[in-house]
Amino acid sequence: MSTSVLQPRATKRAANGGAPARRAIARWAWRLFRRQWRQQVLILTLLVLAIAATTVGLGLVTQTVAARSRATLGTANTRVTIARPGGEVDSDIAAARHAFGTVDVIESQNVAIPGSVSTIELRAQDPNGPYGHVMLRLDAGRYPSGAKEVAVTSRVARIFNQHIGSTWRVNGRSLHVVGLVENPADLQDSFALVAANQVTSPSSLSLLINADQQTLQSFHPPSANGVDIERRSASETLSAEATVLGMTTIGLLFVGLLAAGGFAVLAGRRQRALGMLGSLGATDRHVRLVMLANGAVVGVVGAVLGAALGLACWLAFSPATEHLLEHRFDRFDLPWSTIGLALILAVLTSVGAAWWPAQASARVSIVTAISGRPPRPQPARRFATLAGALLVAGPGLLVLSDQRAPALIVTGIIATALGVLLLAPLTIQALAGVADRSPIGVRLALRDLARYQARSGAALAAITLAIGIAATIAISAAVSEAKTAAVTGGNLPNNEIVVYLSADDGGPVPQLTPAQVQAAQRRVSAAAALVGTHDILELDQAFNPASPETADPISGVTGKSGAAMARGHPVGGGFEFSLSAPLYVATPALLSHYGIRPDQVDPTADILSSRSDLAGQTLLIEGAKGPRGGIPPKIQHLPLPRYASDPNTLITSYAMHRFDLHSAPVAWLIHAPERLTPAQVDAASKLASRDGLTIETRPTQQSLTELRNDATAVGILVALGVLAMTVGLIRSESAGDLRTLTATGASRTTRRTLTGATAGALAMLGGLLGTAGAYLALIAWYHRNLHPFTHVPVLDILALVLVLPLVAVIAGWLLAGREPTATARHPLE
Amino acid sequence: MSALELHGVVKVYGEGAAEVNALRGVDLRVDSGELVAVMGPSGSGKSTLLTIAGSLEQPTAGEVWVGGQALATMSRNERSRIRRRSVGYVFQDFNLLAGLTAAENVALPLELDGVGAKAARAIGLQALDELGLRDRASRFPDELSGGERQRVAIARAVVGDRHLLLADEPSGALDSVNGEAVIRLIHTACRRGVAGVVVTHDAQLASWADRVIFLRDGKIVDQTSPLPGPESLLTSDHAQ
Repeated sequence: MSTSVLQPRATKRAANGGAPARRAIARWAWRLFRRQWRQQVLILTLLVLAIAATTVGLGLVTQTVAARSRATLGTANTRVTIARPGGEVDSDIAAARHAFGTVDVIESQNVAIPGSVSTIELRAQDPNGPYGHVMLRLDAGRYPSGAKEVAVTSRVARIFNQHIGSTWRVNGRSLHVVGLVENPADLQDSFALVAANQVTSPSSLSLLINADQQTLQSFHPPSANGVDIERRSASETLSAEATVLGMTTIGLLFVGLLAAGGFAVLAGRRQRALGMLGSLGATDRHVRLVMLANGAVVGVVGAVLGAALGLACWLAFSPATEHLLEHRFDRFDLPWSTIGLALILAVLTSVGAAWWPAQASARVSIVTAISGRPPRPQPARRFATLAGALLVAGPGLLVLSDQRAPALIVTGIIATALGVLLLAPLTIQALAGVADRSPIGVRLALRDLARYQARSGAALAAITLAIGIAATIAISAAVSEAKTAAVTGGNLPNNEIVVYLSADDGGPVPQLTPAQVQAAQRRVSAAAALVGTHDILELDQAFNPASPETADPISGVTGKSGAAMARGHPVGGGFEFSLSAPLYVATPALLSHYGIRPDQVDPTADILSSRSDLAGQTLLIEGAKGPRGGIPPKIQHLPLPRYASDPNTLITSYAMHRFDLHSAPVAWLIHAPERLTPAQVDAASKLASRDGLTIETRPTQQSLTELRNDATAVGILVALGVLAMTVGLIRSESAGDLRTLTATGASRTTRRTLTGATAGALAMLGGLLGTAGAYLALIAWYHRNLHPFTHVPVLDILALVLVLPLVAVIAGWLLAGREPTATARHPLE
Repeated sequence: MSALELHGVVKVYGEGAAEVNALRGVDLRVDSGELVAVMGPSGSGKSTLLTIAGSLEQPTAGEVWVGGQALATMSRNERSRIRRRSVGYVFQDFNLLAGLTAAENVALPLELDGVGAKAARAIGLQALDELGLRDRASRFPDELSGGERQRVAIARAVVGDRHLLLADEPSGALDSVNGEAVIRLIHTACRRGVAGVVVTHDAQLASWADRVIFLRDGKIVDQTSPLPGPESLLTSDHAQ
């Protein structure tokens, strides 16, 4: 046998190996991934789940947002709705075609539902219209084509007991039902479809157009009635996608922290191999590349598998959510570029998570690496310095933002979160420092946490993040509870209920018969009885009897538009009004209820109000003659309630006579003797909902309490999940110590103590850091009014800082204790 | 020009009470084609001498020259290049990289140095062929016997333009037959012009060396040219 010194061909080579070296390292990393994929299942699983959830989330959110505008705009960018076009429909359409070119016309007429104050819409629309075709889908039969044909939605068919082939008598016409249709972008849209131009005397005319702002402003329909313009918001979908991506980023940050721990363990196991690589002449960059390439492989595999899983879930389950989200899905219309961005984020997360262990591996001396000794952990003070700087800068930016500047808010939150997370190594070292007097199991556990700081620090950071988010929600909810518990301000006092006939204040004034009013009063009395009172005050609203009927878009209740205070803005050739306050009639009973004597009222005042922001606003009365911008009223300030939904602005009998207004009941104010309990509010709400009424109360805080408790529970569960995933990894590195302990006679109790103490210490530090970080950020956020912070969510905080560690200790204790297998040396990996 | 020169090399680990003087002023010169065996009790500094000679760690004091180049003046990357091009290591416990085949393990230093995968593989296969391991080229380390793994490690240590071979107990984990085969390979490499330094406890294997140095407490306490080893019986002088 003989050997020789073999020489490669003399070729020009890059100083540090160049591409061939990188290829060789990448090949080895890929082979290692294939050999050790089981050790990376946790990281892979988390990445796969995060990307799958993102894919499905993006599909749901973007299509739901798109459906919102598609439901009314179709593929057009603008919908111009002209109220009561009367006989000028054709001239309005002609003017629109002249101004905008292509116009898709929808004519509507209200159809009363027998025995109800609600209506449905009789709609004349071309199913093949250039913009509106996406607003229609044929479920059965065919589209109507003649003057006597109609297709209905399933709800309309149910209400009017119609089916394909039946004849429906509607608004004085007999229509043959030829099909079942739906608006695929809004499955709650209830209408009856007739062929284009087949609505006689439409109550509104909608024009779907593609128009720029300038052309739109110069458009003046000949009918010159109220024009409502709806425009597609280009930023809506983008902001929805950005929200999902933002949540994905937070999720991936969490996954990244866990992955960093996992990669640190992996780097530890490969330490000797990496040392060997160094001894062969690999540079620091090559050594780093091994872990980074591994991170990239995990990221790519996780992203691809996650996207595949997400798409499979999307295709399988999106049909089931259509009725829940009230629109149809186009299964193949996904935001592919945004999904691609999420996949890139996943790969970057994985590579980023591998960066820290990669750096640490490259720093270890070759001799130490080959010997298999754990490298000395980095001094925690380095992290502490950076953490300190971030913890000053982050809250400082939040204070400076004053809850307004988005850039400062985002930077402040990120800096604060990073500052808290960087405290993890310091707290681990500090805890290990005080372990000297503890029993052997606890002492070893705490010292091992410090010895293997890279992985325990990452695990603690992940727990801290989970607890931090949970604590932020819990404390914020407590702050909100404290604010709503204040005696003044808000919508209503905590002992009042307002029962509306319509969906809310500001809805139409229903024109009820005396019998219907009595029936409504009986229902209100029943609701009042539920909260133990008979103190009911009827609230009437003023309306112009000459005004046309309108329908509430939410409840479908029809009625006359109520008189209201409003602020007018000139738009195009007309005015656009933003309603400021509904006007309740200053009845003697109402005035008396608030302790106002008739002689206190100025006989020439139009409006009585406690509000100071009505200056410059006008009295808006639909159908009344007067200035187009509304009538400037005479306002008298009186000590009426200041709550937003209480009758704080009243119209006087003088104004009623002056403007020939009528009044009708729209709501009832129920005054309970004591603060309403959540159960009372729930009961009243259920009763009202059953009877087609709507109630409003002061937020009961039950939802906030539930939010607080849910956040705490989820935070604890996530933290326990992280512990379950990481404690095993952390302890695996000290398996040799465990064998030595067992050989020296340590009992099962000692082994249980080791695991329990490891889990408990991480949980306790995570609970403390997360909660402290949350308080720090929130105090900076609410720095102008810190009083609500006296309302401490004690149980939630105790659960996070005491119950969580206790559960972790018990779970660790119960799940540990197995005798270690007597394996020999680890083979070189 | 010597392949390896150490002048007054001192290595101290730890500080204060934990201070350990691993090497105390070691001078050593190994010429091309020379095989030097290093012997001594545990803790005498044998392995430290080897790691410093191979630029795996820096001496506390003194100078190390490899192929006429002073390591002290080199950057980390330059020292890495020295290890890729000039120095080959053989460790006791067959430090082959799992995940790479025998041929890929041998070719790895070349690829790290920028030689293309195909060319590096061809050279690696040639090296394995010369060590009688051609048929093991596609096997992974865990599919090879102990002796085969160490022979692959030697092939990797000498592949390319290496002129210094450092072996730390290369036969420590092998039986006597395989151990002798390994030292024979190292000896043969040295006959081809490679300078070799072998740390061993085994006097039998040390007898293959041209020179044996004895370390105790970090100092060279003796240095000798051993009697001709058993291989000398195979030379023509003895045959006559």
